[in-house]
Amino acid sequence: MSGPIEPSAWGINRREFIHSMAAAGGGLLLGFAWPAGRLEAEQSVATTRLPSAFLQIGIDDRITIISPAVEMGQGGHTAMPMILMEELGGDWNRVTVQDAPASAVYNNPVFHQQSTVGSFSVRGWYAELRRVGAAAREMLLQAAAADWGVPAGELTAEGSVISHGPTGRSRSFGSVASMAARLAAPQQPALKSSSDFQVIGTSPRRVDLPEKIDGSARFGIDMTLPNMLYAAVKTCPTLGGTLKSFDDSAAKQAPGYHATVALPDGIIVIADSYWRAHQALAQVKTEYDLGKLAGMDSSRIAQILRTALSDPGIVIRSEGDAPAALAAAPETLEAVYEVPYLAHACMEPMNCTARIDAAGCEVWCGTQAPQGAQQTAANVLKIPTDQVRVHTTYLGGGFGRRGESDFVAQAVIAAKAVDRPVKLIWSREEDIQHDYYRPVAAIRFRAAFDEERKLSALDCVVATSSAPTRIGAGPAFYTGSIADSNYAYAVPNFRVTGLDKDIGVRFGFWRSVNESHNPFMLEGFIDEIAHHLHQDPYEYRRTLLQHERGKRQLAVLDLAAEKARWHDRSAGHALGIAAFEAFGSYIATVADISMRGQEIRLHRVVTTIDCGVAIHPDNIQAQLEGGMVYGLTAALRGEITLANGAVEQSNFTDYHMLTMGEMPRVECFVLPSTAAPGGIGEPGTAPIAPALANAIYAATGNRPRSLPLSKQGLTYSAQRA
Amino acid sequence: MLQLEVNGKTYPVDVEPDTPLLWVLRDKLDLTGTKFGCGIGACGACTVLMDGQAARSCIVPVSAVTGKAVTTIEGLSNDRSHPVQQVWLAESVPQCGYCQSGMMLAAIALLKHKPQPTDADIDAAMTNICRCGTYNRIRRAIHAVARRSNRV
Repeated sequence: MSGPIEPSAWGINRREFIHSMAAAGGGLLLGFAWPAGRLEAEQSVATTRLPSAFLQIGIDDRITIISPAVEMGQGGHTAMPMILMEELGGDWNRVTVQDAPASAVYNNPVFHQQSTVGSFSVRGWYAELRRVGAAAREMLLQAAAADWGVPAGELTAEGSVISHGPTGRSRSFGSVASMAARLAAPQQPALKSSSDFQVIGTSPRRVDLPEKIDGSARFGIDMTLPNMLYAAVKTCPTLGGTLKSFDDSAAKQAPGYHATVALPDGIIVIADSYWRAHQALAQVKTEYDLGKLAGMDSSRIAQILRTALSDPGIVIRSEGDAPAALAAAPETLEAVYEVPYLAHACMEPMNCTARIDAAGCEVWCGTQAPQGAQQTAANVLKIPTDQVRVHTTYLGGGFGRRGESDFVAQAVIAAKAVDRPVKLIWSREEDIQHDYYRPVAAIRFRAAFDEERKLSALDCVVATSSAPTRIGAGPAFYTGSIADSNYAYAVPNFRVTGLDKDIGVRFGFWRSVNESHNPFMLEGFIDEIAHHLHQDPYEYRRTLLQHERGKRQLAVLDLAAEKARWHDRSAGHALGIAAFEAFGSYIATVADISMRGQEIRLHRVVTTIDCGVAIHPDNIQAQLEGGMVYGLTAALRGEITLANGAVEQSNFTDYHMLTMGEMPRVECFVLPSTAAPGGIGEPGTAPIAPALANAIYAATGNRPRSLPLSKQGLTYSAQRA
Repeated sequence: MLQLEVNGKTYPVDVEPDTPLLWVLRDKLDLTGTKFGCGIGACGACTVLMDGQAARSCIVPVSAVTGKAVTTIEGLSNDRSHPVQQVWLAESVPQCGYCQSGMMLAAIALLKHKPQPTDADIDAAMTNICRCGTYNRIRRAIHAVARRSNRV
């Protein structure tokens, strides 16, 4: 991601012109042509030499859909085509899906970047892909109608077959595709009513699954090119350190060795196999200038944030007069919540393959941001972006990490150094120690109660280290979920203040981003308020949602409580609940636990979501459950710590992941909805931490106000019986 | 020159004897379905079968593989017809898919040893890491394979 996402700027800008053309070899190609001026404005980093198609219908009846969303496990390669196919009336079994090249035509209509991030893909493309599918369908029907000499209105399209009821004639899409390509594309084709949906709301087999069960799915790391060499990389363990000198004399004697490349912050060794490169790299001696972070450690970072909570910050949201209400209140409540740095730990370590020739550069990698990869390669080589082709592969996990392109730069530097194609692969240690971390954050809450003991004010000071200079994000971004106008609880005096401390540790977007900490803190504090008032935490939340804006959140909250049997829990069990809006969806989770000494025994997790129109219900279930695992792992034990400016964790032996034996029972319920689609990739990650922490309080009377829970001496087991 | 038997075929391999089997499979035999995840045998993405037993190929030196039959994900079937493959599809297990080759081979090793595994058996044998959180579907899939073989 290269710029801030300003909520005020959100809103779908239609690409004004659906554009049709004849496909090579016959058939219909449908894409978007942009109004003059608009393309230049958005296309600062894009190429024009590639077609801007979204849909191709071949004379052989094959349907090719170019997915503007990459496939990193969240189902983009299935959801994007489903939306288009709903309107097209094509045969799902004839669909093949390709990744889009780097081009501004594929910029997400909501936030104007070609990035698969922020649970934005379905939200951004829902309207546009339906429009393309409907336009293609109209053109195919018009072409068939003209050929048959019948009114187009008498024709229907289903399963890639056009039928004329009155005469019983039928023909395939492919048979009229070339004729259709000569017609003008309708700009505002009629769209189906959601009650007529036949594809959306079903759960066809995900298109990427067959390749993922026989080893044939190609991830970035699987790329092979003729004459290719392999590169291993190691950068300065102290974050921000720079290379002073190195001695590669021993490495040069290693078998298969080709070259050593000095980076500003580390070393790349290139050899004729990855293992040989890895072995030779271990023999390079390096000396680093440790830079500004030498001497920095986690306890000092936590102290910096805690101190910052008393600084004057930037008021992000203010309703009523929270300071006045607090000053006048007969009763107040205050608490500070904290979370640590987290690494993404995608299963596929960062990697990129690069080839440079006279025409420019090609890179192959799993990336969430094809234009980011393109721009990065162009910057390294000092060539125009249109001379860089990005080939997006499957991503072995993205989670926000693959929105970055640091590994692309390294691969291009390596390929340039040896003048041969190079595949560069990070070690797991490099991955854990040189991530773009989910930043540390702290929030100080203050609540005021009036004479009737009603919540009269809520004041939130959010301190993060989000290095605003990097992307112009800063506190406005990381306070997002609290400052968001969708925040549903009714509080008469409400203030959110942001504070940013640039600690110098590079930060990034970690699955659910600001929702990875704000709901833990805020839903924890709301729970504190409920207990402070001697009210049931679920019933108390209900009282804050008795207004129009709270309706959808109330519905998911109620369903979660019902499914978890909130008022009828098992003996010895404690329940914790959390609910909020995230990524355009409303979500609630109940954690059902019991405690045995310091051991959290998790019996069940119940999650409910209203994500608007549900495109692929089975995948929504998978995302809620998978997202929950990502959040649970972090809540229990996720922590990246620094000592002398270096990350102390290095691999799965000290950055522990949840395993099969620790997997709880999970039940997910998707509320029927006709509202515009919300996101599903990230919302599920956020609610487990507060639900679990609130359950722990209910069981023990001890309130976890920081993560991970392991740091408070709590252990964990899943109880599935 | 070492001789490797992989998926029923014999391959001569000319590498340093301490080269991990993983990198021989991936870089010399172009069997890229076996994945690199951690390099220390901690995540299981590189799991293959050696004489029917699950092995983490990133920490198995290729010299230790001579005389053993190696099976990788590519060797399960030519047409995705292996019962574990079929059930993995039916249960829509994979998300990003990166860990799934290793998961499936670990499951096959478990089912060979215990055709009707309990949840505790699955917990003990399936120690591979999945960051997408597909564990419950993997568990369902393993039980489904067991039910199938029970019927046969």
